[in-house]
Amino acid sequence: MLELNDLNVFYDDAQVLRDISLQVRPKEICTLVGANGAGKTTLLKAICGLLPVSSGRISLLDQDLLSVAANQRVSMGLSMVPEGRKIFASMTVEENLKIGSYVKRTWHEKDELLERNYELFPRLRERRKQLGGTLSGGERQMLAIARALMSKPDLLFLDEPSLGLSPKFVEHVMDIVQSINQSGVTILLVEQNVNIALSLAHRGYVLESGRVVMQDQAHSLLNNPHVKEAYLGM
Amino acid sequence: MFTLPILAEQGVNGLVLGSMYALVATGLTLIWGTMKMLNFAHGEFYMLGGFGTYFGLVFLGLPPWLVVPVTVALVFAVALAFEKAIIGPLMGRPGWDISTVVATLGAGIFLQNFAFKFWGGDFLNVPYMFDGILRIGGMAFAWHRIYILALSLTVIITFWQFVKRTRFGMALRATAQDNEAAVLMGIPFRRIYTITFGLSASLAAIAGSALAPIFSVNPWMGMVPLIKALIVVILGGLGSFSGAILGGFILGVCESYSVLFLSSGWKDLISFSLLIIILVIKPSGLFGAKEW
Repeated sequence: MLELNDLNVFYDDAQVLRDISLQVRPKEICTLVGANGAGKTTLLKAICGLLPVSSGRISLLDQDLLSVAANQRVSMGLSMVPEGRKIFASMTVEENLKIGSYVKRTWHEKDELLERNYELFPRLRERRKQLGGTLSGGERQMLAIARALMSKPDLLFLDEPSLGLSPKFVEHVMDIVQSINQSGVTILLVEQNVNIALSLAHRGYVLESGRVVMQDQAHSLLNNPHVKEAYLGM
Repeated sequence: MFTLPILAEQGVNGLVLGSMYALVATGLTLIWGTMKMLNFAHGEFYMLGGFGTYFGLVFLGLPPWLVVPVTVALVFAVALAFEKAIIGPLMGRPGWDISTVVATLGAGIFLQNFAFKFWGGDFLNVPYMFDGILRIGGMAFAWHRIYILALSLTVIITFWQFVKRTRFGMALRATAQDNEAAVLMGIPFRRIYTITFGLSASLAAIAGSALAPIFSVNPWMGMVPLIKALIVVILGGLGSFSGAILGGFILGVCESYSVLFLSSGWKDLISFSLLIIILVIKPSGLFGAKEW
């Protein structure tokens, strides 16, 4: 579904991603794990077009993505829940959701999509008139996920959805991620919480210093000695 | 000497002037809120609005209902081209926050001299669009002033509804709050910038057009409104919509009464004193920097 070939990305002069090649297959949950600073967020941003790519190829459903402007990639079925949620603080919950349907493809059906997301996240319906900036961390995360779903993505990126949430809430978010996946959305999940990510995902990639150092079925990675030692503290 | 009718008349005059400050300031704050830049050529769009109105009404002899919308539409188009040619190439490049100040300042001077070459430096008089005087209970209000007040209130309310309710308005607010997140929603923020710039200039042009019969039209007519609008925008809190509106009315009424109680020479002293006092008491302005 998504295919990256030899992707190289720089921040000014520093190379952050080196020769990244990976695939996300249709309908799966694929995860990208690694330490802080390994380049996970950079990779997601590069795919979304928020950062320039210096060389390599990205294709989504066999279409070249690098020739498409960042904002138009949403219309191709790509949607991202960014790190730190990036909720529009001075807009109400409902406005945040509606703007998620901005692209022409979905704007005309935003009301039905709104209803569907309120059913998935009843808490957001209760808060719909509240400003985004007044929500708790967990509510913001739900809003960010729901907002990303408002463009009816085929491929959803989640960047550190567990960050700053209580363990109980993390579980709740992961249940939601799973149910989104079961409704037919392919997911690329970036997580520092390697245990959670690999338990949920079908396949995973391990990123270290901007390179893919391992890729395998998630359960195999979970039992891999290097992963166990470096990321799971076992 | 200060009878009630005179006080009321002067109050209305203050509101009329204030409504214009509010329009010009809303344009400035719109650009600040969205693009995070100050447009020092803003007064020149006001000036173009004035000249367009003069040209249409006096030179071509066309009726106001045709001249005003066409003028505003033309200024909108000029502003789109201005943004594409001058602001767009600088945006997002290193030092853009300073380079846009210099560029708009330069472009403003260019537009003033362009107007000077084109129309000359004479102070051109424009007739009232609505003749006659409305008399109620010993008070007299020129219909043109009533028109200005009604026009600006209509524009302000329509504009706010537009920003609040339409797809474009929501995209504008999203871009103003976080343009990276806006891109993730599929919003083409560069295009939003361009159109926002055009809308901002249109607000200035509406004010320039409406005030043309009250102050005369000349190439430098935009400078004072720009400075006044800057005061209003800082007074109300940079980037605040309601701050720009209320700040505009407060400044207009204060100026109007200082003319009545003191003399017109005191007007600017009063407005700057007001600005300094508010900045000392509340550095973030009356309404803080509330985002769009």
